[in-house]
Amino acid sequence: MSTSSAPASASAPARPSPLKRLPIVETLQFAILSGALIWLGMRGADAMGYRWQWYRVPQYIYKVIDGELIWGPLMRGLFVTIELSLWSLVFTVLIGFVAALLRLSNSLVGRGVARVYLELIRNTPLLVQLFLFFYILAPILGIDRFWTGVLALAFFEGAHAMEIFRAGILSVQRGQWEAANSLGLTTVDTYRFIVVPQALRLVLPPLTSLIITLIKHSAIVSAIAIADLTTEGRNTIAHTFLSFEIWFTVAGMYLVLTVSLSIAVGFLENHLKKGYR
Amino acid sequence: MATKKGLRLNWLDFLVLSLIATAIIFIAYRVNVVLKYEWGWQSTLGYIIRYDEELESWVPNLLMHGFFTTIRLSIWSSVLAAVIGVVLGLCRTSHNLFLRMVARAYVELIRNIPPLVFLFIFYFFLSSQIMPLFNLDGLMRDASPTTHSIVAFLFGPPKLLNNFVGGMIALAMFEAAYVAEIVRAGVQSIDKGQWEAANAIGISRLDVLRFVILPQAIKRVVPPLANQFISLIKDSSIISLISIQELTFMAQDVIIATHRLFEVWIVTALFYFVICFGFSLAFSRLERRMQIDSETS
Repeated sequence: MSTSSAPASASAPARPSPLKRLPIVETLQFAILSGALIWLGMRGADAMGYRWQWYRVPQYIYKVIDGELIWGPLMRGLFVTIELSLWSLVFTVLIGFVAALLRLSNSLVGRGVARVYLELIRNTPLLVQLFLFFYILAPILGIDRFWTGVLALAFFEGAHAMEIFRAGILSVQRGQWEAANSLGLTTVDTYRFIVVPQALRLVLPPLTSLIITLIKHSAIVSAIAIADLTTEGRNTIAHTFLSFEIWFTVAGMYLVLTVSLSIAVGFLENHLKKGYR
Repeated sequence: MATKKGLRLNWLDFLVLSLIATAIIFIAYRVNVVLKYEWGWQSTLGYIIRYDEELESWVPNLLMHGFFTTIRLSIWSSVLAAVIGVVLGLCRTSHNLFLRMVARAYVELIRNIPPLVFLFIFYFFLSSQIMPLFNLDGLMRDASPTTHSIVAFLFGPPKLLNNFVGGMIALAMFEAAYVAEIVRAGVQSIDKGQWEAANAIGISRLDVLRFVILPQAIKRVVPPLANQFISLIKDSSIISLISIQELTFMAQDVIIATHRLFEVWIVTALFYFVICFGFSLAFSRLERRMQIDSETS
């Protein structure tokens, strides 16, 4: 990111004073702006007759009864979200990998199926796909609510995963394939010993950002009343009418989840980079 | 990986074909024998277009109205998101740290929470705080029939104007964060040499942006922005959960009326598919033509 402390209109860059080098002024401005926005929000809420009741929120996150920690509905929703996302991730990787293999195979039907799958998923909204799964496929195949959500999310993200795997596999040079062929390895063995280990390096960073996208998209399963964080948030609001407080808490919980995952991903990428010159 | 002589099917082809055939037979069996679903395409198609006896012509029905609302919502939201997004993207690349921090905070906040949560919060805040200030309902009540018909063409039924504008702004604020990232990437992809050369000539920063950087950045930014437009059309379906009467909402309405679950959802998915796939084909053709133009000029 280009940062120069001297203004662009200066003809010769002057020596910046030590005070100018610290971003005190701008940080202060940012703090003032944030404070002003928050103040505006509170004023607006007061004008609407809204009484902030933040003290009522923690009981929906956790309760300590007789020295025992009991998770409130919001935390239980968070656990369901995490469980849903993890299962979706498993199926996403499976579907994406199989679809990528089909796309790269030399079978006409296989490539056609992968292409049709990609275009169908990419050109319809997630909500419509979720409803298609829930109202049409679930009664036909007899799947329950939670697994319908898992499968709908997995098929949606699977298209993205397919492109990631395809890019990873294609990134392995042709020379590797030819060398493996000349050694007499079968296709399966080539994939297993030569291609996948090398493709993994290119595939892991986008996959980890896929996890974060998956968690964000998992909020949509509240439309079919799976008890995830968003659904529990809406239910709590229906009980208590604490709209702003609960929504901000729910958004904050998603933020904590995704930002901590992003940081973990950053560490992983640094670690991977160290392995290669 | 293509076959050399015409259509040669190998074992994988047969495996995949047989799997697909098994799946179709299984689903057909479950639908017709176990669920005993009664197909009724006629009533569903009647909800797309119906014959009005009085006007003696074909008149669009609920699903078509929802389709038009989706198109209007997408276009207006895109325009607003483009404006806000470009401003934010330029703030992200500004020399002023304060502007950078504000833009970064906004973009990171939106990109890290689910679209559903953001839309709920923002629409709720918008409809209770900001929309009463605009007083669109009052404006519509006192407006002339001409204004009504213009508004009906541009924004949909005047009764639902408040609703529509609220949803449009919420969607635009959400997409603006993604547009900002695309614009930022575009501006930052311009070679630093351009900035330095322009500075050496002595042009002010705003003029550098206007005459040197942005014309080049816009060319690079148009394909991802076209993709984002298609993404916006898909995200507009989430708005149906806030009771804005676009296509997905109307589909649920029609299902409540007719109980034709399968047909309505298949038709709705087809509507979205046709819009999105059509746009993406059109954009790729446009992109190829732009490339050919720029190579031959």
